[in-house]
Order: sequence, then C-alpha cells, then structure tokens
Amino acid sequence: MIRLAFIQFMRAGRYAGAGTRIGLIFLLTVGIISLFVGKQFSQRQQQAVADVIEFQQTDFPRQAAIHRDDMGLLLYYLKFSVVNQTRPLTALAIGQRDVNPSVQSVTIRALEGQQYDADLTNPANLLLGNVDFSFVLVYLFPLLIVAFTYSIISEEKENGTWSIVAVQSRNLLGFVGQLFLIRLAVLLAVLLVIIGLAVPTLGTPLDGSLGLFLATSVGYVLFWFSVCFWVASLQRRSSTNAILLLGIWLGLLIVLPAGVNNYITARYPVPEAQATTQAQRKGVHEKWDTDKTATIKKFYAHYPQFRQVPVVAMPFDWRWYYAMQQLGDDESAEQAHELKQKLQQRETASRSIAQFIPTLHTQLQLGELARSGLGNQLRFMDYTGRFHEKMRLYFYPRIFTNAPVSAEPWTNFKVDTFADTAPSSPVAVLGPLLLFIALFTGLGWNRFRRTIYHL
Amino acid sequence: MLLRTQRLIARQVWTTAFKNRAVFGLLIGIGLLLTYAAATGWVNVRQQNEIGRIYQQQARQDWLGNPDKHPHRMAHYGHFAFRPKAPLSVFDFGMESFLGNTIFLEAHKQNSVNFSEAGFSTGLLRFGEISMAMVLQLLLPLLLFFLGFGTVATDRETGTLKLILSQGVDWGQLLVGKSLGLMAVMLTLYGPVMVVTGLLWFGLQEGTVSADQRMRLGLLMGAYFLYLSFFCVIAVLVSARSKTAKTALVSLIGLWLMLTLVLPRTSQALGSYLYPAPSKAKFLADIQADVLKEGDSHNPNDPHYKRLKDSLLTAYGVDSVQKLPVNYSGLVMAEGEKISAQLYNVHFGRLLAIYDQQNRFSKAMAFMNPYLAIRNLSMALSGTDFAGYVDFQQQAERYRYEMAQKMNDLQIHFISNKKPGAAEKPHQIDKKHWEEVPDFSYQSPGIGRVFAHETISLLAFAFWMGLLGMVGWRLTKTLTAI
Amino acid sequence: MLQAINLTKRYGPGQLPSLDALNLSIQPGEIFCLLGQNGAGKTTTINLFLGFLQPTSGQAIINGLNVAEHPQETKKFLAYLPETVMLYPNLTGTENLDFFAQLAGFRHTPDELHTLLSRAGLQTEAHGKRVGTYSKGMRQKVGIAIALAKQAKALLLDEPTSGLDPKASNEFSAILTGLAQTGTAILMATHDIFRAREVGTRIGIMRAGHLVESLSASDLTANELEAIYLQTV
Repeated sequence: MIRLAFIQFMRAGRYAGAGTRIGLIFLLTVGIISLFVGKQFSQRQQQAVADVIEFQQTDFPRQAAIHRDDMGLLLYYLKFSVVNQTRPLTALAIGQRDVNPSVQSVTIRALEGQQYDADLTNPANLLLGNVDFSFVLVYLFPLLIVAFTYSIISEEKENGTWSIVAVQSRNLLGFVGQLFLIRLAVLLAVLLVIIGLAVPTLGTPLDGSLGLFLATSVGYVLFWFSVCFWVASLQRRSSTNAILLLGIWLGLLIVLPAGVNNYITARYPVPEAQATTQAQRKGVHEKWDTDKTATIKKFYAHYPQFRQVPVVAMPFDWRWYYAMQQLGDDESAEQAHELKQKLQQRETASRSIAQFIPTLHTQLQLGELARSGLGNQLRFMDYTGRFHEKMRLYFYPRIFTNAPVSAEPWTNFKVDTFADTAPSSPVAVLGPLLLFIALFTGLGWNRFRRTIYHL
Repeated sequence: MLLRTQRLIARQVWTTAFKNRAVFGLLIGIGLLLTYAAATGWVNVRQQNEIGRIYQQQARQDWLGNPDKHPHRMAHYGHFAFRPKAPLSVFDFGMESFLGNTIFLEAHKQNSVNFSEAGFSTGLLRFGEISMAMVLQLLLPLLLFFLGFGTVATDRETGTLKLILSQGVDWGQLLVGKSLGLMAVMLTLYGPVMVVTGLLWFGLQEGTVSADQRMRLGLLMGAYFLYLSFFCVIAVLVSARSKTAKTALVSLIGLWLMLTLVLPRTSQALGSYLYPAPSKAKFLADIQADVLKEGDSHNPNDPHYKRLKDSLLTAYGVDSVQKLPVNYSGLVMAEGEKISAQLYNVHFGRLLAIYDQQNRFSKAMAFMNPYLAIRNLSMALSGTDFAGYVDFQQQAERYRYEMAQKMNDLQIHFISNKKPGAAEKPHQIDKKHWEEVPDFSYQSPGIGRVFAHETISLLAFAFWMGLLGMVGWRLTKTLTAI
Repeated sequence: MLQAINLTKRYGPGQLPSLDALNLSIQPGEIFCLLGQNGAGKTTTINLFLGFLQPTSGQAIINGLNVAEHPQETKKFLAYLPETVMLYPNLTGTENLDFFAQLAGFRHTPDELHTLLSRAGLQTEAHGKRVGTYSKGMRQKVGIAIALAKQAKALLLDEPTSGLDPKASNEFSAILTGLAQTGTAILMATHDIFRAREVGTRIGIMRAGHLVESLSASDLTANELEAIYLQTV
C-alpha cells in the first residue's frame, strides 16, 4: 500500500502544471546552485586572503627600505592583517560574512578609527541576498513541504474519494501519517543529497559541527512538517489550507523577522558608532595643541613599563605621537565599550526572541555554526583588538628607542588568522525546534483523534 | 452609461470581497503592518537625520574650534560627512540599511563610508524590512492574488460563468469588469498608503517642497498604481485560464513566489557569479601600485618629484628648496594628492562598472518581472538606491579633495621652508583660515538622474502594460465557459 | 428561431462525434424536448447553441444568425437555465436576480424583482436571504426568474427540473407553456418522459450523437412515449 501511495504522490499534480517531480527537480537544482554559490564565496575569501598576504609580503620590505632610518614613521604606514577564518561550513550559510569584512588590516595607530572600516560590497547583492544553502533550507524547503502536503486530506474530500478511504481503512490516522511520512522521506532524501554533495565540493570535514548543522536542518524540515500536519488536522478546504500555510510561511519568514529586526534596531540604536569615531579623532588631534608632558604622563599611566625606556634622539618625537594615538583610543573607550555592549545586547535579544520563532532560530543557529553571525563578528573584533594590542606592545619599545629597521625580520610578520572556537550546545540549538515539533504534532494528533471521521 | 456592464461586474467583485470576513481580517492585518511601517519609517528617518545633523554640526564646530596650527595638521584633522536620508525614504527604505552613513574625510586617504545598519545587524536584517513600499511591492500583490484567484475560475467551476455569458456579456467586458473590481479593492489600501506617504513626506520637508520632490512623489504614486493594477489583471487572467479555482490559486502562488523570491535572488546571484569584484585588499593594492608608478611623494629620491623640484628651482631661479618663496613640501603634497585622487577615481569608476555589470541581470529582469521593475524604480525615486549613494560618495570625495588642496594651498603660501629649531615656536597659521573651508552639505541629485539610471524599469512598465493588454485581448478570443 | 444544420461536434480528432449531423428547427411558440441517455449529446447540443463549444462542422443558428460567427449578438435572443443553477452565495436572491438582469441590460425596480421571483415560485420570505442558504430547488427558481427577466425569444434548458419538488416542477411546466404561448422557442434537454410529454410540442430522442426520433407530443400518451424511448436507446 505504501508503494501505491508513493506512486500516487509522485504522479500527482500533472494537471496543475506544477507536479511533484518538477518541484523536486527545482529544489535539487537550486540546492546544487547554492553549493556553487558557496564554493565561489569561499574561493573569493581565499583570494582575499591571498591578496592580503601578497600585499603584506611586498609592501613590508618596500616600506622598510624607504623608511629604513625611522622606525616610528615606518610603523605609521605598516598595516597588519588579521583574517577571520572561513570554514567550509561557512559556504553553506554565508550569513553576515558578505557584509562584514573577513580581513581586517590595522596599523598600530588608534584602533577605534580603523576597526569599523567597511568592506567593498555591492549593496544590491546584499539587499537581494545570497542563494546559499541556508536560503534553500530556510525559505524553499518549507514551500515544497507546503506544496506537497496542503491538500493531503482535503483533496480526497473534494474529489469524493475520502469517504471510501475512510470506510475502507483499518487505521485511518495511520494512513494519514503514512502519507506525511512518504513526503518527509522524499524531502529528507533531497536534503541529504545536497549536504552529501557539499562534503566533496566544499571539502566540509565530517565533524561534530557538520553533524549539528545537519541535525538543525533536519529539525527545521520536521518543524514544517509538523505545522502542515496540524493544518491538515483542521480539515479545511484545499484553498483554505493553501492560504493558511502560505500565511504562516509569510509570517514566519517575512513579517515576523522584519518586525523583530525593526524592533531590535529601534530598541538598541547605535549612535555610539559615530560618537566613538568623533571622540577618537578629537582625542588624538587635540593633543597636538595641548601640553606634551601631560600627554606622555597619561600614556605612562596606561603603560608604566615604558617609563623606563630611555628617551633617544629621533627624526620626530614618536613617543609623543603614539601616546596621542593611544589616548585617542583611551578617551573613546567609554563610547566604544557602550557600542560593543549594544551590539552584544542586540545579539542576545535576537537570540532569545528567536527561540520562539523557529525560522529565525534556525537561520541564526546555522550562522553561528558556520561562524557567519554577529557573534562571530564580535569575537573577531575582540581578537583584532587583542592582536592590535600585541603589535603595539611589540613595537612600542622598538619605536621609542628607534631600533634599526633592518634588524627586524619583516618577512616573518605573517597574516594572522582568527579561528573561532566558541562552543555550541546541541541542547540550545535543537531544543526549541524539538519543542515546536512536539507541540504541533501533538496538536494535530489530538485534533485528528477526535475529528478524523468528520466530513 | 460608459462601461455599464463592466462596472456592474466590478461591483459584484467588490461586494463579494467585502462580504468575506477573512478578507476584512487580512485588510486589517495589512493595515496594521502599514501603520507600523509608517511609524518606524518616520521615527527612523527623523532619528537618523537628527543624529546626522547633530554630528555634522559637532564636526563643524570641532573643525572651527581648532587653534592656530599647521595647515597639514588640519588636513589630517579632517572632517566628517553624514549622509542625510531623503524625504521619500520614509516610504521605501531601499538599500539604506546596507549603505554606510558616515565617512571620515582626511588628506591622502579615501576612507570607506562606515556604520551601515547591516554591519551592526544580527543577521535578522537579511530577512528584509517592513516599509510601506515593501508591503505594496510584496504583500499587496499576494493579497490581490488571494482575492482574485476565484474571480473567473470559481464562476466556471460552479457554472455561474455559463449563466453570465448566456446573459450576453462578452469575455472582454467580463475580464475588464473583474479586473476593475479587484482594482477597486486594491485602492482601499493603496489610497490611504499614498495619503499617509504624502503627509509624512510633507512633514519631513518642513514646509519647503521642491518641484523635484513633487515630481518624484507623483511618479511614485503613478508607478505603484500601475504595478498593483498589473497584479489585478494577472490574477484575473490566470483565473480565467484555469479550470478550477484551486488550480488558479496554486498557479498564482507559484507565480508570486517566482516573481518575488526566486527570480530576484537568482538573477542577482548570477550577476555577481559572472562578474567577480576585487577584494578590498586587491583594490587598495592596485591603487597603491598605480600611485607608485606615477611617483612616491613620501620617497625623497622619487624621479617624478625630482623633476618637480628641478622645474621649480629653475622657474624661481634659486638653487635650493629652502630659498623658494613658496612652501616646497606643500607643493609636493598638492601634487601627490592630485595624482592619488585621480587614480582613486579611475579605480573606483572601474569598481562601479563591475557592480553595474553585476546588477545588469536583475535590471534587465524587469521585463520578465514587474516586481524588479517597481523595486528599482521605487528606490531610485525615493533616493535610497545605489546611484544616490555613489553620488554621495563622489560629493564627499570632491569635498575631501578640495579641503586637502585648500590646506596644501595655505601651506604653500603661508608656511616657511625652514624647519623651526627645537626652541622655536612650530610653524602655524591663524585659525581664521579654517572658516575658508565651507561646511559639507550634500546636494541630492535631480530627478533627471533617475530617468537616466532607470530607463530599463520605465520601459518595462510600458512593456508590461502592452503585454497584459495583448494577452487579455488574445484570451477574449480563445476562452471558453467550460 | 432555433435551427441546427448538419451540426457536428467531435471533441478530439479520431474520436467518435458526440453530435453527428444534427438537423433541427424550432419555431417560435414551440417547445422541443430532447430525451436520451447520459452522453447522448443533449448537453453538447445546448452548449453549441450557447456558443460555449465550437462546432466541428455544420451550424447552430438562432434567429437567422450563425452562433459560431455571432456569439455576442445571438445571446440577445437567448435565455439559459442549467441543470444546477449556481449563484453568488454572498448575495441575496433579489440581488442575484438584479445582477444578472442588469448584465443582460435590464433594470428592474425592487417590486418587479420580487414579482419575477414570485412568478418563478420562490417563497417571498426567501427573497432577502443569502443564496448561500438556499436549497438546490430554490436556486433553480432564481435561475428561472433570471430567464424570465430576460424576455428572450429562445430558451435553452438543460435538465431544469432535476431537484425540483413535484409541485415546483408542475408550476415550472405552467411557466414554460405560458412562455411558449407568447412566442418563445424552447429547447429543453430532460430525462423526465412524463414532463416532456406534457409540455413539449415535439419530442426528440437522441442516441450516440444522433437524433433518431422526432415525434409530435400530442400524438402520444406518456406510456407510448416511454415504450418508444426504451426501444430507441
């Protein structure tokens, strides 16, 4: 009987012009396209890293040759780059990685003015969004699930076959369940094929992250099946089911996320961004006109260890200059801290709200697993800050003593890489999805048990 | 009476729609969403423009508040430019959230426009935003499809269609009537939205409404009316072609998803797949390489600047730069600024050309997809499109260049070539000069630019009018009641 | 008034014709009843006269005009009553009648509308109720009122009495006879042999697309007609 139900499903919809097979081929095609998009994304990332490595390797010796007598001036120019590591999984959920730069290049001058430098992007690409795997999963899979299941009972009623089915079947609810399971199996097979293809094409390692990524995807598909099951249990007409399910899709994927986004943007505005930059600029530049020794004194208060470094003659008083830069950061620290806090609040707020909206939850968690969300960006910014500090501490004594430029092994300064190792808890990722699946399946089951024989 | 039968049929569509309680629910839901969009739009535009205005003033005061100092220090002190939001951005947010707001303008360096909303977003932004334009572009067509899928198909299914046709109504009257009825329902949402938009738009301009803005609003209203009418006609035509109402509904939903979700994304993805843009590192490295080819102003032995020095010495008839009556390093910097700015503009132009290529697919798609036509046109008219942003960047860059050259000019004429001794006062000029640099104020481009950039979208509108008219006319010849 | 000349309809190439060379002529004041099994070609004939189907060959002519060439003009002379009258469920009986009458170009006062509905046999208290609450028979009566309102020269009926109770059916027969007396040509497809004998002036029996018998109703009793029918089909 399962075989016949399966054949019936695969042959369905010929008259509607949008049959099962066309739908499956469409989904699979877009899924495979998404892998190419991901592949190209990771290639571009690699290219960007290669570009920056090449630049650093040619620019450092060149600058060192020009400014061979002036360590302070040389460090004014040198840009050290940090790369936010792109994992193969990132190509499956590009998330915010196309907005935010994956490479940060900073001089040891004031950090705050450099940290928010935008990447070169075509905003039209950002506006319309990527066709990556997460898009296929989050937007398109539900549509196919809806298309395959919205008329499971209602169509039989409309065609007049339901009364015969209801009289003949020994386990009517089991029969309905079977119809859903057939469709679930087919769509899960498509999901597995796409992710299976991702392993060789993107070189995704078969590790725990991929496992959790896959589990989240399966959970999301199950969530939509449970919603469709519940809607079927309401026993409405096919057109009503279609409108209802599309309404749910629209609400969960367009209206609610956009509403939450508007809310979070308005709830946590970030005027601190502008404030930080202006404070930093004032902090640096006003020092040209204020007392030099006061500036130096404040600098020593931050870094007492450099008090001992003897003052030597050099083309320009770099100790003073870098003290000014340091104070730019110090004096904008409050605003910068507030800004980071606001961003952290945005992240926390959207995650807590997302727990109640499975679509948002899935998108955010896939981004987190793929290291392409705001969390990753904040950790990368922190890392860049630490890296910047490390570079400062390394070069300050060399600048203050005007150490010979040629003594530094310039080619040894490699581009640094940030590997995000923040852990993910499977319970936090899968928990909300499982709860919603249980809720809708339970509601549907309960309603079916009472009303399945009602016409 | 003109179009008597058509109006009769239209009234029947209207009555049926409003006797349905679900339709009322949907209309109220969309109405609430529109109110929310209008409120957030208003607050957002006011807030952003207020923040921008405050910081712009602050930056100007900071600039003017500088004491006497060396002009080159001022060139590095620099200025900020804040991108103001256009009045109609209250209606269509367009790309606003993906565009930076703030650019730091200083000598030698073209900084990026920073602090886009997207950069500070948790990724939720990628699901889209609720603006009035979004509701009209995306949700209203779907609502029209829901209301319109049964207009002809249900009548056919139940046999009422035979009755109507046997009363002597012809297909042309029927299709026009049903479309007009749907359009009347559409107007109940379109009308209020446009009134609210007009009010907010007026409020944001604080009384001084330019002819340019009036034209933008007028065109916007016209374009949306046509766009939504297209969907009314499409719904009726698909319904007329379908055997059953369910088939019509499924076809229309599929069509809506194709037009609003699948086609826009894939056409843009195709564009960016085929025309890869350079990474930022590569872009900057290429500019630096080109600048170095011309001459390195920071390298004292560079041949380009050696020639400049020699020509100066000959022109003024002196044997060393210290004896020049003008400041030598000011001249060198002016030359360096000229070269680097020019090369930057060349490279930036190339980058924009690549972006244009990437966007070409989704622009041309307007002929296959009225959603893309209205989206591009609406952004352009609202001043929230990429062209407007590029215009801002270019005005900011011109301002930056002029500011840097003004400071170089002051240095050339007022700063001595001799280095001050350790005990001497450093070189500086009077702070009154700072006022000679005017404040940055962004001049939004006229509507003529919109016509130039969005020719394709405008043509697409004409094309769709013709196409739907033709398809409708063909169908009146071939449709049957059964 | 109504005339079929070698009227033929084939739904697909190679298929047997659903209607094969039908020749028929119905004068004003005549009631022609078509009998025949399901699929004999009765509804096809009516759909051809309505212009909903294009004939494969031959002509359906109304008032001297070929329907296929003048689908619009011929509608002026026609009224039609389908087997199941489906109306707009959200509108009342009066509103539906008004709507359809206006489509045909007639404006009626509320009184006239009520009179028409009453003439068609619809009880007064139902006039203001939504059609969604009507039974099939009540909808059928609104359909009759629509046909009456049009004052057409030719009336096409497709099993109009199915679903009507005997009393309503009887009233309906009276209405038809009345219409015929004022000069309306009526073509009615039906399964009701008794009713056909009673109202029809002529009776045609169809089988597999052919009109195999054409009889004068006044020459027959109902039993004779039934016997002929059973022999023929």
